[in-house]
Amino acid sequence: MRTVEPWVTEPLERFLAESSARLTLLMTSAGQVVAQHGFTRSVDVMTAAALGAAIMASTGEIAKLVGESNFLSLAHQGARQHVFLSAFETPRGRWIGLVVFDAESTVGLVQLFFERLVKELAAAAPQQVPEQQVLPENFERELNASLRALFGR
Amino acid sequence: MSNPVQLLERLSTVRGLRGSVLVSAADGLIVAESLMTGVDGRAVAALAASLMNRLRRATESAGRREPVFLQLQAQGGSVLATPCGPDLVLVAVAGPDANVGLARLEMLEAAGKVA
Amino acid sequence: MSDDIRGMTAELAADPDSLIFLELGEALRRRGQLDAAFKVARTGLGRYPELARAHDLFARIFCDRKEPDRAFESWVTALQFDPSLVSAHKGLGFLYYQAGDLASAEKHLAYAGQADPDDGGTATALERVRADATAAKAAPASVSAAGAEPAQAEPRAAGDGAAPDDVMLPTIAGAGGLAFSFDEGARSPVQEAVFSGLDGGADGLLLVDANGLRLGGGLRNPDGQDVADSVAALLAGVSKEAARTTRLLALGDWRGLAVECGDGNLFLSAPSDSTLLLTVRGLDVPMGRVARFAERASAAARTWLERAE
Repeated sequence: MRTVEPWVTEPLERFLAESSARLTLLMTSAGQVVAQHGFTRSVDVMTAAALGAAIMASTGEIAKLVGESNFLSLAHQGARQHVFLSAFETPRGRWIGLVVFDAESTVGLVQLFFERLVKELAAAAPQQVPEQQVLPENFERELNASLRALFGR
Repeated sequence: MSNPVQLLERLSTVRGLRGSVLVSAADGLIVAESLMTGVDGRAVAALAASLMNRLRRATESAGRREPVFLQLQAQGGSVLATPCGPDLVLVAVAGPDANVGLARLEMLEAAGKVA
Repeated sequence: MSDDIRGMTAELAADPDSLIFLELGEALRRRGQLDAAFKVARTGLGRYPELARAHDLFARIFCDRKEPDRAFESWVTALQFDPSLVSAHKGLGFLYYQAGDLASAEKHLAYAGQADPDDGGTATALERVRADATAAKAAPASVSAAGAEPAQAEPRAAGDGAAPDDVMLPTIAGAGGLAFSFDEGARSPVQEAVFSGLDGGADGLLLVDANGLRLGGGLRNPDGQDVADSVAALLAGVSKEAARTTRLLALGDWRGLAVECGDGNLFLSAPSDSTLLLTVRGLDVPMGRVARFAERASAAARTWLERAE
């Protein structure tokens, strides 16, 4: 497991231990990765983050279409592996969690422990830091720094 | 299938039971519930379904037939569970003073009606 | 099928309570039909759970199946019911010798020799054990002491893992009234009988560590296949799930898990913080009794664990 924000580490470790998730990704609603577990290639992380953020954005549009304020979570059931996606509020803004699990867990368990993760993250988050404007010249440097943190390179 | 909520409410008349839920075995999600305040139905559903699934694998490995009833005993009470067909599990949470024997009979009867 | 086996099979079919199962099981074992011998022995043991000769037959079959730990448990159980059963002493002597515990081997073989002085096989085996023990005392650095790791010594008894009867076990027709004080505290380097004396010690009681590895006991499915290790591996996950369930539902520590299956009753308990005990019984044993039996078995397991530490 790797995190960009150190205060995410413990709550995420507890979530992973309880949920038996195979892959987990925490990202901002813009697709910027905050933490990952189980991924072996950075390109997979970036792809999953982009797709996850896009799915939640589409889901938000469907919610508006049917008169809901938002759909916070959704689950996809596969033959062997399943996906759970959920948006949640943090002191750092709206984040998205993407969890891949298999027969070792169930969507009920993942949901149960994800809710606990959200509460623990809210409690663990440091006080709000003023948002820094991300300039084009900083972006690549920040992206590379995130990738190094997430993959230990 | 009989009305599950009515069956669960009948179960709640057993002394010492704090509530019961009907759970989707594969997902651990609640199908129906009748719970006292303070009992986390979602946790009961998810955890009991997961326990039942693990037990199914263990009993299969032992060459035995599937579980028909289980009682997880703890200091502060018990979790009781019985499958209702292949897809559902009836779960009850019992306090330490519960009449587990009666609860078991009621649950087995209810499971037969739900399946 | 030979005539004698056919005849015994017919006799057993006509009278399932007949003790002919002992002869039939032994005949099948000698012919190498171990699965059939096992089924006959198991059925007979179910009818006569306290018959020492039935446990003795079981032990011989386990030896032929190259399961010395289960053979040991069965012979120990046999001696619980009949401390004078010479064939059990011979069997244990053989296993101790194979494992390098010459002192224990000599003890059992000496008893067997006293009980049946005309048995040349036992006398020969005892001579060999005593010779090895003398040689070991003369070169102490090369000898493994009793209770140490299982033998490095070559197995010189008849056949690797084979039942000792070819050399040491003729048919015994009563061993006389010599009393034998069997030291239940003695540790076997083969495997200590965790549940010695308890009904089902060789099957239906499974002691597992926190990693899902078997510590003692055994488990077979209704077809007689050994499923102990595969079930042990799954039990660790079951106990973690049980512990998590009671913890998160604020019920405290879990104490036991009673499971009724369509064809049997199971009870999972934790004799210590790092072990699990699975007790399996047929439907004819009510769950309440299974739970009580599991308590006794847990106590036996705790005693064994304390001795092992």
